[in-house]
Amino acid sequence: MTNILETCGVTKQFGGLTAVNDVNFNVRQGSITSLIGPNGAGKTTFFNMITGLYVPTAGTITFAGQSLVGLKPHDVTAAGIGRTFQNIRLFANMTAVENVMVGMHTRMRAGVLGILANVAGVRREEAASRQKAHELLDYVGLDAQRADDVSKNLPYGDQRRLEIARALATDPQLLLLDEPTAGMNPQETAELTQLIRRIRDERGITILLIEHDMKLVMDISEAITVLDRGTKIAEGLPSDIRSNEQVIEAYLGRGAAAMAQKQAQQGGA
Amino acid sequence: MNTRIRSSLIGGVFGFAIALISGGFAGILAGLVAGLINGFSVPQAEPLNNRAGAVRQGLVASLIASVLTILGIVIRSVLIDPVIGTPLNIASLLISMIGALILGIPVCVIMCVIRTEPPARERIGLAIVIGIVLVTYPWLDQFLNLRFMNEVIPVLVFILMALGLNIVVGYAGLLDLGYAAFFAIGAYAAGMVSSPHFGISLSFWLAIWVAAAVAALFGVILGSPTLPLRGDYLAIVTLGFGEIVPIAIKNLDKVTIHIWNYPLLVNFDITGGTKGINPINRPWLPVIGEFSPSAPTPWYFLILGIMLISIFFISRLRNSRLGRAWTALREDELAAGAMGINTVNVKLLAFAIGATVSGLAGAFYGSYISAIFPESFRFDVSVMLLCMVILGGLGNMSGVILGGIIIQFADRLFLPQFSTVVQKLIVASGNVSLREVNFASDFRLLLFGLTLVLMMILRPQGLVPSGRAARVMPTADAEVSHD
Repeated sequence: MTNILETCGVTKQFGGLTAVNDVNFNVRQGSITSLIGPNGAGKTTFFNMITGLYVPTAGTITFAGQSLVGLKPHDVTAAGIGRTFQNIRLFANMTAVENVMVGMHTRMRAGVLGILANVAGVRREEAASRQKAHELLDYVGLDAQRADDVSKNLPYGDQRRLEIARALATDPQLLLLDEPTAGMNPQETAELTQLIRRIRDERGITILLIEHDMKLVMDISEAITVLDRGTKIAEGLPSDIRSNEQVIEAYLGRGAAAMAQKQAQQGGA
Repeated sequence: MNTRIRSSLIGGVFGFAIALISGGFAGILAGLVAGLINGFSVPQAEPLNNRAGAVRQGLVASLIASVLTILGIVIRSVLIDPVIGTPLNIASLLISMIGALILGIPVCVIMCVIRTEPPARERIGLAIVIGIVLVTYPWLDQFLNLRFMNEVIPVLVFILMALGLNIVVGYAGLLDLGYAAFFAIGAYAAGMVSSPHFGISLSFWLAIWVAAAVAALFGVILGSPTLPLRGDYLAIVTLGFGEIVPIAIKNLDKVTIHIWNYPLLVNFDITGGTKGINPINRPWLPVIGEFSPSAPTPWYFLILGIMLISIFFISRLRNSRLGRAWTALREDELAAGAMGINTVNVKLLAFAIGATVSGLAGAFYGSYISAIFPESFRFDVSVMLLCMVILGGLGNMSGVILGGIIIQFADRLFLPQFSTVVQKLIVASGNVSLREVNFASDFRLLLFGLTLVLMMILRPQGLVPSGRAARVMPTADAEVSHD
């Protein structure tokens, strides 16, 4: 299978601090891949380099054969990468439908003159995108009655869903989800896991996930990459990562890693 | 307090103030205004389509407003007029009172009936009522001998500009403190091509397009250095532009440019310096002929037309892909970029379209007063426009228009009239020490400042919050009441 996203030697330095150090990382087309690591490991910085918010200090990022380095965020979105944010960043005073319609911006063609003249093409496009926005809200499981509510009035879980709907509206080939279940209860997390699977299975969208919820990560991922202090320390199948000594050490400290190893040996014996 | 009583009190207070300050037959206008405001602010207490209930509601509401308005008329005619040298005229007092009732009560009742209609019909109904008032106003003004027309026209010019500023500040969230610069640029662009200044004497109907185009161009030119800036920094830079443009205009009267040693321009007069450009062509239309400074009615309809067309097109932009991009930019610039919005283009478009509207206003204004001077476009114009936008409600056109009406009429009509009345009262009372105080000019900026501060504290979303914010309110209340 081909890789939809390939990064090679990606590094980001902020002054003297190296937030991401020489990371080689691939995402297979059509997979659900997770990026994990302790707080401050550089996961979000890595996301921000992919989406054009930061320019890497060194390295290359290639998406579907096209280099992303130096592209502006809106160009990256146009190229086919949608994203959500760790801290929800909806357009708070716009309705749910409008939020989703903003997501379709790059896929719409209406220009100033067309809008002023209200030509038939613009009217059609507007109606079609509104229709599609409602469909997307329905797809992520947002109550139809909530569609015209201002997004800041939506319950927390719905705001998370709305962010995903808005990202889907950009019509991505690759969807980056930055801690989509942060702050959710177990039931909401389970529903969201389902949703993420459906997005991949039904829409064929490749998914790259940053997540802290290990149960979710192990449950859903087909490949996992672990970052610690800016460096890639492991990658592989969930089962490999689960038993990887370095990963346990990064998460729990050296003593815990030794203990886990001992337990594993005893279990094996 | 009962909301119905509150709405009629708001209408009544406006009626009272207008009747008291303006005197004469303005009392009749006061009745009309009281009725209109009352009708707008009355709550939809009765169920939809209950005509009889709405009529009853309108009658009750207009009763209180009328009593206040008539009180204003009586106090003015009986207590103030004789003191300041206008003898009490019982006949005109009675005409004012009856006129205020005849206009005020039916208008309020009609408004209340319209307000109970379903939203689509309600909007059409309101448009018809406002349309009738706007179209008949010049004759009402003439009939009542008010002579407000020469103030109403600049008021409309300023409201038009506030609508343009609202695109930049209200929709796109770019705080622009130098917006009057585009007014100046539009006025000068039109003035240069339709006056003897350069010997280019285009008709007004062409010059106004030149003004719009030049203003849009300058919107982009002055907007582009501000692109990376946000919030306070943007405000400071635009403030600078607002100051630079009038000063530049003042000093561009002796321009000398050498290219190597070849003198391209020597003492070339681009802008007329402090003398300004004078005279500027007036519009000409078949039946009316050339618009005359002494007949304001054609000017009134011209600016009204420009304004309505602008409102029409701005609202189209507002509800489009571009309008949503502006709002998204205002709400969260980073997320807007991540959702595929080219923030640079969208910002520049906001600046350009906002400037275009201001350019239209400038072209009209220059032609209307037939002259322009650098002094007409100082910082306080920008501040006043910002006050109008904030008072009415950022991002909401009807709010901005209401804010514009209140601030502009207060500034141009009621403060000067109030000042004159107070002056005359002071003279009559023989108190010499206060004679030098001019309330209109001395307290003008103080009142703007106070208005802004009070609005920010009491009602930061403006008098008429934008539709989105309005939808926020009931839900928020409902959530509170569940707790």
